[in-house]
Amino acid sequence: MSAGSRLKTARASLALGAVARAAVAGVAAYGALLALGSGAEWIFGLPLGLRFSFVAIRTVAAVMAMGIVLWRAKGVAHERDVALWLEERVPVLRYVLVTAIEPRFAPMMPDLERAIAPVRWNGAIARAVARGLAIPAAVAIASLLVIAALPDAAVARARAPRAGDAAVRVGPGAPPNLLAPLSATVTPPAYAHERRITIEEPSTISALAGSDVTLEGHGAGSAISASDSAHAWRVTGEGDRWRLGLRVSAQPSVIRLSDGTHSRLVVVEPRADSAPRVTLRAPARDTIVRVARGIMPLVADASDDIGLAAAWLEYIVSSGEGESFTFRSGVVARTRLSGARSIVLRGALMLDALALKPGDIVHLRAVARDENTVSGPGLGVSETRTLRVPRKGEDDSVAVEAAPPPEADQSALSERMLIILADSLQRVRPKLTRGVVVNESQRIGADQARLRKRVADIIFIRLEGESSAEESRGSESRAKLSPEALLKAAEEATKSASAEGLDFEGGESPVVHINRPLLEAYNAMWEAGRELDGGEPGRALPHMRAALAAIQRARQAERIYLRGRPPSIVVDLAKVRLTGKLDRVGAAPRMPRASVDPAAARRVTRFDAALRLANADRAAAIDSLILLRVSALTSAPGLAASIADAVDALRGGRDATAALVRARRALLGEPRSVDSLPAWSGW
Amino acid sequence: MRAPNEFVFATVQYESGDWDSAPLVPANITDSIARYTSIAVQPSGAIVPLASPELLRYPLAFMTGHLPVRFSDAERASLRTYLERGGMLFCDDHNHDIDGAFHKTATEELGRVAGPLAELPNTHALYSAFFKFEDGPPATGHELNGWGDNLIHKHLLAAMRGDRIAVLFSNKDYSSEWGYHPENKRFLSVDNTRFGVNVVVYALTR
Repeated sequence: MSAGSRLKTARASLALGAVARAAVAGVAAYGALLALGSGAEWIFGLPLGLRFSFVAIRTVAAVMAMGIVLWRAKGVAHERDVALWLEERVPVLRYVLVTAIEPRFAPMMPDLERAIAPVRWNGAIARAVARGLAIPAAVAIASLLVIAALPDAAVARARAPRAGDAAVRVGPGAPPNLLAPLSATVTPPAYAHERRITIEEPSTISALAGSDVTLEGHGAGSAISASDSAHAWRVTGEGDRWRLGLRVSAQPSVIRLSDGTHSRLVVVEPRADSAPRVTLRAPARDTIVRVARGIMPLVADASDDIGLAAAWLEYIVSSGEGESFTFRSGVVARTRLSGARSIVLRGALMLDALALKPGDIVHLRAVARDENTVSGPGLGVSETRTLRVPRKGEDDSVAVEAAPPPEADQSALSERMLIILADSLQRVRPKLTRGVVVNESQRIGADQARLRKRVADIIFIRLEGESSAEESRGSESRAKLSPEALLKAAEEATKSASAEGLDFEGGESPVVHINRPLLEAYNAMWEAGRELDGGEPGRALPHMRAALAAIQRARQAERIYLRGRPPSIVVDLAKVRLTGKLDRVGAAPRMPRASVDPAAARRVTRFDAALRLANADRAAAIDSLILLRVSALTSAPGLAASIADAVDALRGGRDATAALVRARRALLGEPRSVDSLPAWSGW
Repeated sequence: MRAPNEFVFATVQYESGDWDSAPLVPANITDSIARYTSIAVQPSGAIVPLASPELLRYPLAFMTGHLPVRFSDAERASLRTYLERGGMLFCDDHNHDIDGAFHKTATEELGRVAGPLAELPNTHALYSAFFKFEDGPPATGHELNGWGDNLIHKHLLAAMRGDRIAVLFSNKDYSSEWGYHPENKRFLSVDNTRFGVNVVVYALTR
């Protein structure tokens, strides 16, 4: 083998050795830092953020170690450097090898080859490579031994940290405090489409109302007790871990955890789902039109913090005047949305179809419903716009004697009341005995029967001018009459009247046609009465609602409570008080209200008490401030935020003065200057 | 210009609906205040726009109507401020109806401003603030039989601020019950406006 070939082999061996040394150095650096981090995690319990930092530091250190080794071995890239390196370690070469690779000494190569041939340098290369690998390999092996000796869980937490893994942390000798470390997993309600999050060492859990929260720690579940102001929670155990599951309610609460020797407070702060915000863009303002024709475009914007479920435009048409009004309502452009955050809703109102008369007012608004299936749905409505059709003689007035409302109106009102009563009874039915339900149901049934009789009176008075039709027709008429039978009776009754011969819809006489809805109501009332007498208010409700709807259709007549403009009345106080010309007697002056309301005063007292505790028992002061914060979350959010800052500062051992001063200001309110006495001070 | 310590019965003027449907009520209640109490009172009522800062000059505001009620943003904000500063709104449904247009819309609007309305216990201090009403709110002729429909509301509704009534809502149609000239009070065996005195005294003393 020529000297050149032998030199190339030596160079390749050295390169391979350098790569191997770099790899082992990288492993050694990574392993040493992993062993160090695992040990620290096992002994002290490192915060999640620090453990994440260690992952990055280990990786960077390993890469740097490999880089340094390779940089130092960069000489193997050049043949001349390798030759010099060999000359240094094998002195018998006496610079023959370096000379042999110089092109200008090529004519002397046979002599040089002869001088190099007997020299062996493989041993020097092997020793150098072994020396280079020894230290990193030793460090790597030592690190692996340390890692193997540490608990697997501690190594896993150091190697691949993740949120929530601290709950299984067990240090040397197992710390007696089962409430630390603590982790909380928050699963938002499904409609929110949000991801589950894990909070380490939570003091306050802020979550959407309806979220599921799981608190987790190490230790047996039987050793942990948990409660809030309302009730005690059940803590479950699984292996060496305890779990507490709860749902975030609409009100803030404080969970008190205890393991017998230690206690801990966790504030559960509900985040309310806002109702949708709705703005009606068109029509932009209230309008008066002389003739209501054509198409009115409607445009509305709706948005929600989580997601919208549906949106629509609705209208109410009110007709009438004085004390007589009728109402129609309807919906336009109902749109189903599957969680959109914001939409533009467009629709059109056909004014011709509404058949508006002078005096009618159309009330328009947009409505949106969110997807909240837990505490909602939240409903947002826009401002209402009105479209009014003026009367021809709006300044006319008329004075008419007051008259009672028409009978049909009375029936409608009473049927509504009976529906409410029956519905209430149905709701509380599971809590009542059967006997009570039957008694109450029959009582409503008796009222229903009275009402049915009044409806019958109305029908037959109209038909033949005779009241108490049920009684006057004998016992067979007390049984349920079919609509056909009643109509037949009505037809017979009207044959003798002047209506005979008048053509009307379906061949009916006008009187019968007008009374048809009341006949339907009458029939539905029979069915409802039968169910109520049998103690079944739930089954009676559909019939009662059908009766009400029929009565509503029958409300043809208008109230005639028309009134003229009343005179402006000035009360003669002297006459009323029989004081004549005597001096008036002054009333006692009213005392001004207290400047601070009682709830605020109580908060000030609690705040002062918490501050007094701060020096003697810091933990107790923190707990007091947490409880005060919970009570202020809804009524004084500014105060709650300031107290949260103060609690964080106290927990972290920092100066809480600034936050406490802000809290004090929020408690007492900023001082205000006024130019004069407030308007109410004279009372 | 009224004296600063005179009570004035204020009727709220809102932009939607018929706020002026009970024009005789203010004079009638003013008459009763003068008749039964020594409270200094102005002989005629006042009409105050709901959105106006003038509303804050009146400790009690009366609101009535038949038509759907929709407050503007300004009206809502003004009413919210009024209630927060200790004012009391007495709202009466002139329809005397259950689930009617005024009832639904007015309670919805008031609920948005003052929080949900709940049934006021019939033992509340309002019913003993001046006259004693053992059975809670007195029934009106529009509830009792005769011309009435026998639909008696057992409770008034209220939204509270602390332990004080901020909004008092009635379905009993006191607007009709009290809507007559005070001169005609002498024809009644029992003055049916006495409950109005309780409302005023309550508003001035709580």
